[in-house]
Amino acid sequence: MSYLNVSSVCVDFLTENGSVKAVNDISFEMNKGETFGIIGESGSGKSVITQAILRLLPSNAVVSGKIFFESEDLLSIDNKKMRQIRGREISLIPQNPAGSLNPLLKNKLQVAEVFEVMGVNKKEGIKSVLGMLKNLLMKEPAHILENYPHELSGGMKQRLLAAMCLSYKPSLLVADEPTKGLDSFSKKGTLDLFRHMKREHGNSMLVITHDLDFALEICDRVAVMYAGQIVEIGAVTNVLKNPSHPYTKALLNALPRNGLIPLNGHTPSRINLPEGCLFYTRCNLRSDKCGSERPVTKSNKGVIVRCHLY
Amino acid sequence: MPPLLRIKNLVKTFEDNKVLNGIDIDVEKGETLGLFGNSGSGKTTVGRCIVGLEKPDSGSIFFKGNDLRAMNRREKKKVRPQIQMIFQHPEVSLNPRMKAFDSLVEPLKIHGWDDGYSLENKVEELINLVGLRREHLARYPAHLSGGEIQRIVLARILSINPEFIVADEPTSMLDVSVQAQVLRIMEKIQQEKGVSYLLISHDIDVLRKVCHRIAFLKNGRISGVENA
Amino acid sequence: MIGLEITCLQNKSSVFSLKKDGIAGKILNRKDITISILLLALLFVVAISYPLLDFSDPNTIDLTNKNLAPSAENPLGTDYLGRDILNRLAAGTTTSLSIAAGVSAISLFVGIFIGCISGYYGGIIDETFSRIIDIFLSFPGIVFALTIMGFLGSGVINLILALSIVHWAKYARLMRGQVLSIKENEYVLSAKIIGAGNFHIMRKHLIPNSVATVIVLATIDIGHVILSIAALNFLGIGLPSDIPEWGAMLSAGKEFMRTSPYQTIFPGMAITMVVIIFSIIGEGLRDILDPNDTGGEYL
Repeated sequence: MSYLNVSSVCVDFLTENGSVKAVNDISFEMNKGETFGIIGESGSGKSVITQAILRLLPSNAVVSGKIFFESEDLLSIDNKKMRQIRGREISLIPQNPAGSLNPLLKNKLQVAEVFEVMGVNKKEGIKSVLGMLKNLLMKEPAHILENYPHELSGGMKQRLLAAMCLSYKPSLLVADEPTKGLDSFSKKGTLDLFRHMKREHGNSMLVITHDLDFALEICDRVAVMYAGQIVEIGAVTNVLKNPSHPYTKALLNALPRNGLIPLNGHTPSRINLPEGCLFYTRCNLRSDKCGSERPVTKSNKGVIVRCHLY
Repeated sequence: MPPLLRIKNLVKTFEDNKVLNGIDIDVEKGETLGLFGNSGSGKTTVGRCIVGLEKPDSGSIFFKGNDLRAMNRREKKKVRPQIQMIFQHPEVSLNPRMKAFDSLVEPLKIHGWDDGYSLENKVEELINLVGLRREHLARYPAHLSGGEIQRIVLARILSINPEFIVADEPTSMLDVSVQAQVLRIMEKIQQEKGVSYLLISHDIDVLRKVCHRIAFLKNGRISGVENA
Repeated sequence: MIGLEITCLQNKSSVFSLKKDGIAGKILNRKDITISILLLALLFVVAISYPLLDFSDPNTIDLTNKNLAPSAENPLGTDYLGRDILNRLAAGTTTSLSIAAGVSAISLFVGIFIGCISGYYGGIIDETFSRIIDIFLSFPGIVFALTIMGFLGSGVINLILALSIVHWAKYARLMRGQVLSIKENEYVLSAKIIGAGNFHIMRKHLIPNSVATVIVLATIDIGHVILSIAALNFLGIGLPSDIPEWGAMLSAGKEFMRTSPYQTIFPGMAITMVVIIFSIIGEGLRDILDPNDTGGEYL
């Protein structure tokens, strides 16, 4: 029985120009204890599917499909129940750690707030966060709590947020673009942090990223998203070292060390979806069939890929 | 022939913190020099001093042999447009209340031009250079992607024919494939127009791929320069 | 067309930043704003058309018909001098709204200008203007207005001047704060590097991007300005007694409250209604202009 089972999920946003298909029939499964990566660029829908899982979509979103989390369909439970799950069993480390901390409050108070909301004794909560900070290899955690957010570096803020998330011992940890905008030194720090969390706490992790190197280091399996669909899914070494889908290949070729080869063209309109494969206009391995027929997912050497080539 | 830009012994202190402690850098004409350093190393400060956003405590910045710091206001006003900058965050790089077209032609409207071309022709040339289309110009920044914004920014600063462009982490907020696109366009611009770049970045892979030489900034000084 | 705004938690360069031009959408979603705007439109129509249409002089005294209750002939009754209340309320609309408009225009202009200069240049200019702003803000509004009117004497122009002097400083301070928060944004720096002059930068980049909050404040304030006008007239300082104005009507009618309350109730209601309308519109403006507002709740 899988741990997280996303089944045929579609998310449309209703706008005056029409219905925007942000997520187009996504299905994937995650096992307990696994680190699963969703790789995609801006507009791929990777953040939207995360919001769908956490039920944090804006009110003009229309969601269909099922998201089973430990046998409960998250899309059909009521708000109250979802609020119990969100934060306790599924926790989110958001994209911009600085933006998630109130600059006017000492760190201690921010931490306390989390526990207040959860209905846990504040002192107990703070103690467990202190323990967690030490555990996450921070020096002088008590000092950190007495400071304000702006006195911490980006890496430290990230650790603080991670500590706040972890101290409630969530079953599933979702991390949204943990290395975005970080320099190589901080990236290494984040990598260490995540490796540590994986080893010591064994949470299941869902990592959203477009940092291919980070995904290689930390994920067990990954799904590559393009224009709202999953185009390739499998073990990370298979997908990122031996890509099957032309988009995955193009993404890897765009890395500086692989030639900095740009991907020409642009993503298709999400309101008027083209008939054939969504990657058709930018694919250099295309055939006539690709322009008129949507490819379905097939198996190829251990990965699942959505392409007519296979 | 002196280098296009020569920085000698640049010093800048912010409130007890000596961010730049004697920087020496040369950039030749048509060259891309990389500047590598971690967060807080002062690399952005170097860029800001060059374009005049920051006033160094001491040191000289020679552009085409003339010390920028020794110029009077009139001379500075003439020289400044030749040294331009592209920034890290696309979301705030364009005025959110101006259409891309208006942002693009703003420098032309300020400085005028004397090569005989009409405004339309100049705009056409600029958007072709960066691979955009007319429809992009009609949009507001909120409806443009990060890569499209950075390309508008490039087109905009190119409209006044700069010789030197400081690129402060221009692609670190962009997706992998978009980064490749923007960097390739910057290369093309260098080939066609002969501009020099100071490419500031914390991504050594990018610098190694794109730059002719790379300067390493550590503890307020240049600790080394390598040929890429 | 009614549409809904999408915000994506991710960076804005995703496909989903489709803005609707349905500011109409946001307005129609909120009934209080819609109603307020309609009422305001009605008020404007009255204010503008009153002087143009041929109504009988609101100042005509008819002592035989004084203190009458509402009737077919006088829909809102008559006051202590036999003047038709509805007529005077309508005339008062013109008076109040035009004075309020004048005050807003002048104090906004001065406030935005000084706030922008102060915030942009910084240094000694900022220090100086900030102290001046602080001084002006330290006087309590009505007392300050009273004092100024005491010097200037009564009259429409003097009233507009006095209230503008009272109000400009808070717009200046808000504008300064807004300018400070955006002047280090990259598009502003970029304009400098390109070689734009200071006034160009202020005009094209700083003011358009920082003026929204100030305008919202000014809109909410119009209600207070009208209250101030009424208060000053209630206190007998402000306008000469032959100019119909709601506060003056309140003041004059207060002696007759027990026998003929209409001459205080109706002007009072008018004042209250206008203050509420402008507050709602001002707050609605703020929500509408907020680019982060999703206009809805989360699922």
